Amino acid sequence: MAFADDLLKDAYHLAGRGGKNPKQSSLRRAVSTAYYAAFHLLIADFVANWALPEQRARLGRMFEHRRMSGAALSFRDKRNPTPAESELQRLISQFTKLQNDRYEADYDVGRKWSRSDVENTLALATEIFNTWRGVRNEKVAQHHLMSMFGARRD
Amino acid sequence: MIMPAATRQQAKIETEVRAVETALRRDVVRIRYEISEDWSGQWAIFFRVVLSDDAAKHRLRETARKVESRLAERLDFQELGVFAYHNFRSESEQAALREEAWA
Repeated sequence: MAFADDLLKDAYHLAGRGGKNPKQSSLRRAVSTAYYAAFHLLIADFVANWALPEQRARLGRMFEHRRMSGAALSFRDKRNPTPAESELQRLISQFTKLQNDRYEADYDVGRKWSRSDVENTLALATEIFNTWRGVRNEKVAQHHLMSMFGARRD
Repeated sequence: MIMPAATRQQAKIETEVRAVETALRRDVVRIRYEISEDWSGQWAIFFRVVLSDDAAKHRLRETARKVESRLAERLDFQELGVFAYHNFRSESEQAALREEAWA
């Protein structure tokens, strides 16, 4: 997980640059980097299950951003979700928000970022790390990674 | 193009947003919002929340989560056909950035 953690640290570093007058470029890079930290956190776990280490990077590149947030969670009983399913549902919502922030940071040149907004986005990314590490060994979490990759549920 | 239910329930949304604003007035200065598509083409409601400087500096995430949950308690976003996004800035940041959409 070292690469994802390093990216998240980089995001905090970028967000803190510029003192009281941060540059929009630093704030935007911070948001974008925080998203990629979460992105790599998830795909690293997925590709780690692939038996051939030399193919893992290639497999990771097959993830599509749009598909990742669009993957629906399969509940055992939607009206009575398990604790892991609830946590995962929260993570999906957080990841979707982070993904939109990243898109706006990278492509919406009209948007002005404040440091508060960026700090909140980074806190969101940190929550994704914590939530994922709490549920990653659950079967439902591993199944959802498959869905994010594009695999259909049985 | 199929419009989400949120576009037909703007009066209700307005009422509920003002109620949240009032309930959290110690930390929340104002809440603005708009309904439009997000980056992926899905319908969304984008909240722009101006916080007091004190809240932004000392309890940003805590306040942000409170705003998000209070809005979700009063508005069923799934039923409204939108995904909710929340953005935050402090009063002084808005004073410096001076964006009409946040005023």
